[in-house]
Amino acid sequence: MRPIRGLTLCVGLAAVGAVSVRAAVADVKVIANPSVTASSISPSELKDVFLAVRTSVNGVAVEPVLGKGGPVHEAFLKEYLGKSDVALTTYFRSLVFTGKASMPKALDSDADVAAYVAKTKGAIGYVSSNATAPGTKTLDVK
Amino acid sequence: MRWRGVWTAAAFVLGMVPGSAYAQQFSLGDVPVQVHGFVSQGFAKSNENNFLTMKTRDGSGALTDGGINGSAQFTPKFRAGAQVYLRNVGDLGNGRFELDWGFADYRFTEWIGVRGGKVKTALGLYNDVQDIDFLHTWALLPQALYPIDLRGSTIGHIGADVYGTVPLKKAGELGYTAFVGKRPEDPEGGYAYGLSTFNHYDSYAGNQQGADLHWATPVEGFLVGASFLNQQIVGTGTRVTNGAQHREESKKDQTMQFYGQYARKGFRADAETRRYIRQQSLVFLNRMVNSDTHGWYVSAAQRLNKYVEVGGYVSRYVHNSRLDHSLPNNHIYDNVLTARLDFTRYFLVKVEGHFMDGYGAQDSIRGFYSQNNRSGLKPKTNMLVLRTGVNF
Repeated sequence: MRPIRGLTLCVGLAAVGAVSVRAAVADVKVIANPSVTASSISPSELKDVFLAVRTSVNGVAVEPVLGKGGPVHEAFLKEYLGKSDVALTTYFRSLVFTGKASMPKALDSDADVAAYVAKTKGAIGYVSSNATAPGTKTLDVK
Repeated sequence: MRWRGVWTAAAFVLGMVPGSAYAQQFSLGDVPVQVHGFVSQGFAKSNENNFLTMKTRDGSGALTDGGINGSAQFTPKFRAGAQVYLRNVGDLGNGRFELDWGFADYRFTEWIGVRGGKVKTALGLYNDVQDIDFLHTWALLPQALYPIDLRGSTIGHIGADVYGTVPLKKAGELGYTAFVGKRPEDPEGGYAYGLSTFNHYDSYAGNQQGADLHWATPVEGFLVGASFLNQQIVGTGTRVTNGAQHREESKKDQTMQFYGQYARKGFRADAETRRYIRQQSLVFLNRMVNSDTHGWYVSAAQRLNKYVEVGGYVSRYVHNSRLDHSLPNNHIYDNVLTARLDFTRYFLVKVEGHFMDGYGAQDSIRGFYSQNNRSGLKPKTNMLVLRTGVNF
């Protein structure tokens, strides 16, 4: 009886963990300046945009905008870039110090990201799914 | 001359340490411009041989380098920038400013772009970023593949690159760079220093061609690749013994490098191997110098939290693979343990232990020189390296 009860507990915890992870992912929405014509973006395109491999989406020049930390930032990096914050910083510094890219803009809060994306042609960023982001459009990631 | 270089380096370092370590960004018209820089300072203490032309037996702080760059994104596809760099490592570098890179870059699409000017050479995992101390776990990169003294032989070229990234859908991504150009002079480098008992070089440079291809596999964080570098080097100068003219020319000068990396969740493992084949004709002596050197290393590092990373590597270098590998003058083996402490995003300290076996040949140009080990080279050397740096 006891092993089965332990197993049930483990499965239960794993399920809760999975739900938590999914919730963390679901908490992020990708926003873009209305000049970005696409209404959706694939995960690999999104990754390439945020790793400075791709500079346009559907022929429109784009600029990635990062958060400076916090759960939304961490969830976005984990889900879409597969890198930690430290690894992403190292990655961009290796590009910057060999002249291959500029350091992307990193802003303190959802409000700052939303405001910058709204006013900057081609900007793509991410905010909490609950955040209001007037003047931006939401991109479906699929 | 040497002291002037040291003071230049010191002034550069002091001048670059910013009150607040933030990158500078401003606009020239509508063009965003970024300025970044770094400085690193090291200290090394060894128990036996002096290493890298420093007086490490006594303890040496002659391990300084730094760089500052500016770059501008003129359009989404076109960018340009430049970086100056200097170093003072024992008798190497001597605080000489050099243009580290300076180029214009036009990216047509993600799968093809071109850049021209002075460009860092893509060779293996770390050749182009070998100087950027804060990017690495290690205080000294594995010297079997990235010798500080021979930096100038691979670090960059004056020429052009074609590069790109090709998505393979579910099979991952291919990245490539092909390049052609001239190898710049390195008068304060290890080659001129190591062979200064034989020749004084006026020039040691030539043409380079090569390519790098790497595959980011579908396995998250797993990358493999290969690089090739072909050079036609001409060295001219005078012989030390009699002042006669000296000239040497490459008949064959090829570097092949294979590498793999796995990085996930704060863990990173690297493995690289390099083979260097060199057939150099000493024209006036009517002699050939043939060597076939092998180097490899395996490393692993784990980031414990945002402040601490620990790791180690095993580095193996064999100067002439056709001779007995066990001879201390034909190999340098190095086992290394490191702790890296990131106090902030911009300031770090590294503590590293090296346990070295062997010292290689006089023309290995990998840290051990008869000029600064006048009582003879010993077969084993342990060394402690401390290195700190700031970047912005």
